[in-house]
Formats: sequence, C-alpha cells, structure tokens
Amino acid sequence: MSTEILLRLVLAIVIVGFGIFAYWCVNQRLLLKAQNNALSLFSKLPDKPAIVYFTTPDCVPCKTIQRPALNKLSNLMGDKLEVVEIDATQRPDLAKQWGVMSVPTTFLLDARGNARFVNNGVARMEKLMEQLQTL
Amino acid sequence: MTSQNLQKVDHSILKTNQLFIIGLSVLAFIFDQKYLVAFVALVMGIGSILKTPGFGIIYKSILKPSGWMKPDVLDDNPEPHRFSQIVGFVFLTAGSTALFLGSSVLGWILTWIVIALASLNAFGGFCVGCMVYYWLARLNVPGFGKQPPAGIFPGMKPKASANV
Repeated sequence: MSTEILLRLVLAIVIVGFGIFAYWCVNQRLLLKAQNNALSLFSKLPDKPAIVYFTTPDCVPCKTIQRPALNKLSNLMGDKLEVVEIDATQRPDLAKQWGVMSVPTTFLLDARGNARFVNNGVARMEKLMEQLQTL
Repeated sequence: MTSQNLQKVDHSILKTNQLFIIGLSVLAFIFDQKYLVAFVALVMGIGSILKTPGFGIIYKSILKPSGWMKPDVLDDNPEPHRFSQIVGFVFLTAGSTALFLGSSVLGWILTWIVIALASLNAFGGFCVGCMVYYWLARLNVPGFGKQPPAGIFPGMKPKASANV
C-alpha cells in the first residue's frame, strides 16, 4: 500500500515537474524571440539598457500605472536608459513577433541587446528598477 | 475588443478555488481516492449552480477575514470564469465516473487535465476555459456574449484594475 502511494507521489512530482519545465520553456522562448527581434527594432544598439514597452491607446492601466512608472524611471536614470514605446494596435506585426499577448508588456534588454526580463502586465517602478540593477 | 460593461471580479477567490481543486485532486491521485475526485467535482457543480467559485467559501470565511489572502479585484467578466468552472466540473465528473467504473487510466488522465488547466490559471494567469468562452462569443454562439477586456488576449488575466 505504502509503495503504491510512494509510486503515485513520484509520478505526481514528475508530472508537476514536467509542467513547471514546460512553463519555463515558454518563458525562455518568449525571451529568445525578444532577443532575436531586438536587433531589428534598433538600427544601432543603444549601448545601454533598454525597455521595450508594448501598449494600446485604450489600455487604462498603461496610462494610469505603467507609463507614469516608466516616465519616473526615465527621469531618474536620464540618458542611461532607453525606453521604446510600441502601440500594439499600430504595430501588430511587432506585437506578434515579440509574442505579446496582453498589454502592458515590458521587455528589459541589456546594453548588448539581450532580452533579460519580460513582464506580462503592469510592472511597477520598483520592480523595473530591481530588474535593471541586475543587468 | 469593443466597449463593454466589466464588473469587479476578485481574482483571489478564483485563485483559492483553483488551488483547492489542484491540491485535492493531486491528493486524490496520490492516495488513489476516487471519492475525493467526486467530492471536488460535486463542489464545483454546486459552485456552478450558485454562480460562485466552489471553494470560494473558504476564501470568504477564512482566508480573507484572517488576512492570509488579500483581495485582487480587477475589471473583468465573471461569465467566462463560471463557464470555465462548468468545464472543469464536466471533466472531473467524467473522470470520477470513469474511476468508479474501473477505467482508472482514463479517470486519472481527465483529472490531470483539470489539474493542468487549473495550474495554468492559478500560476500562469491564463484561463483556457475563458479563452474557449471568448471563442464561442466570437462565433456568436447564444449565451456567450462577453468580449475580453480591452487590450487583453482572450483568456489572459487582466493585469490591473482600471481604478488603481
């Protein structure tokens, strides 16, 4: 009886582990996509960390939270940070290329154009700052 | 993505429901308890009839008052989430029926499908049942009239309240 429970427990762990691995793979794929598309977004890499911010005109949290957070961050970091805002309704091709499924979505790229973080949904200034510090 | 009448939906109650569905179903699998699967299906069924998340009562009576879980109120449509629970109820009912009839492989596969979809919703913020609802709405199926919140991919959790 206990052997059977143990076997079932191991099987459950394997299935859950597989699920976590699959989720991690999806996120990695999203970052890889962003990395491949970063070069096409900039004619020349800005040589500084960049935030690629996807939004739409009718996205309320973008206006009330995300943009103010990015503005604050830009003011704070000055020319040490590049912020690229993309209207997903104007550029659905880019939203598709980058795998954006909801707005706001922010991608953080390091100075070499490598996509390091993706935030699906609102990312507050503190979180963005924390992520930027690790770049 | 048209103008719409969104309601305040507390996603914490939905998450509590999902976590209980996941936890109890996994325990049912580990301890080979088909009665537990049937119990989860029953709770989801009652929740569907009452138009509330089945295990939501635990959130309302224990988790929220004690402060263990905080409300996460977002502008959203409650209907897709109700539909999602009905889909889960159907799967778990089919699963528990299969288990009682001796078809344990089919029964546990159906149970694990519910676990996987509830996990995707609870941890990934993506509600497959809601996505199906919005597809049906797009196909003008009667009874499926709501559109996803503006700027949100059908099935994805809205990320912040409009009133924040």
